[in-house]
Amino acid sequence: MSSDRLNGETPSDTRVARQRPLYSESQVIMTTVKAVIPFVLTYGLFITFHGTSSPGGGFQGGALIASVVLMIAFAFGIESTRTWLSNTLVVVLATLGVAIFAGIALVPMALGGNFLDYTAYYPVLGDVLGLKEYEFVKYGMEAVEIGGIAFIVSGVLMGLFFALAAGMTTPSSTDTDADTAADTGADTASDPSGETAGDDTADDAADTAAAGNDDQAGENE
Amino acid sequence: MSVAAPQLAGLVPLQSVGITPIEASLFVFVLLTAVLTALFRDVLASIVVFAAYSLGLALLYTFYRAPDVGLTEAAIGAGVTTVFLLLTIAKTTRPATDARFEAVNWPAVGICGLFVLVVGATLPAFPAVGDPAAPILANADVTGYYLANAYDETGAENAVTAVLAAYRGFDTFGEAIVVFAAGIASLLVLGREVFTA
Repeated sequence: MSSDRLNGETPSDTRVARQRPLYSESQVIMTTVKAVIPFVLTYGLFITFHGTSSPGGGFQGGALIASVVLMIAFAFGIESTRTWLSNTLVVVLATLGVAIFAGIALVPMALGGNFLDYTAYYPVLGDVLGLKEYEFVKYGMEAVEIGGIAFIVSGVLMGLFFALAAGMTTPSSTDTDADTAADTGADTASDPSGETAGDDTADDAADTAAAGNDDQAGENE
Repeated sequence: MSVAAPQLAGLVPLQSVGITPIEASLFVFVLLTAVLTALFRDVLASIVVFAAYSLGLALLYTFYRAPDVGLTEAAIGAGVTTVFLLLTIAKTTRPATDARFEAVNWPAVGICGLFVLVVGATLPAFPAVGDPAAPILANADVTGYYLANAYDETGAENAVTAVLAAYRGFDTFGEAIVVFAAGIASLLVLGREVFTA
């Protein structure tokens, strides 16, 4: 849809050579990603959970965890990843992260301490949990890193990725039938090669056909 | 707090060893990729070279013992940013020119070169890497306090995290909110109500 709009605005632009395919299925990339993502996910979780004792933290770990989803999307198609990953998960990750961070920060004020004063938990929970005062700072930091920053960063990065991929359009019907016909496996296409080419996409279709991208799949939102 | 230099002597390796061949080659690599990023006509090539530039920077940060910054640069700069840029140009069209490089604007190069010379002239004023007389180590009231007390006060072996999440937790809270706001703003700009749909 978005490329319809773009190409519709510059139908006679002679400098336009060809449209880049947003997704083309590659056995090499899919195999590599399949092999690599368990390790990347583990490394991301490690960096997140060990932020207080080794380099890294919620920001770096959250970015790595989000990059797992980004890699899956690049290997298996953005559209199929989009349906696999619900919008609820992305939104819940980001907002829950803010809520957890803000909650951990605000509760000490209710307990008579300062904003983000982890030691204010000590008089209340110290005996219950059997922790020393400085340990509340450590576990408070870890809670903020894991439940706050990592959640926000991973959620927002995933969301930004799909929002950018969808582009400046309103959600509309996705033409999955044409996609299957083009045997791209996954991604739907703004690319008209797999669709009933409307008038607005006809010249684009000619370009794509000339470029020989038969299995090309863009996105159609 | 009479911390600083004496205690720091045990914490920070203070010898200045000059520039090693690996660092020198990394500097050359970063400079080269930075220039190539600007010169390449094809945006796809620019993005790939820019990712290599970020990777070189991440390695440099690691060499200068800032692994936290290096990790961030590698994950965000070389990784996620590259993916976002690739995603963006996938929705654009490629100009039909065979030229490999952009036409160089020599007056602009001259002005940039002058700027580099002026900034470079201040370089001798900086202390050497690891110099014990450097202000950050010699008058390290704040740095020294963190390094000396972070573990006792927070239980965190990584003093960087102790500063980020405990001593400067309010700043980090603001940064996390900024990331969240960026996600919301992207939805607003794109005129969408959902991230994935």
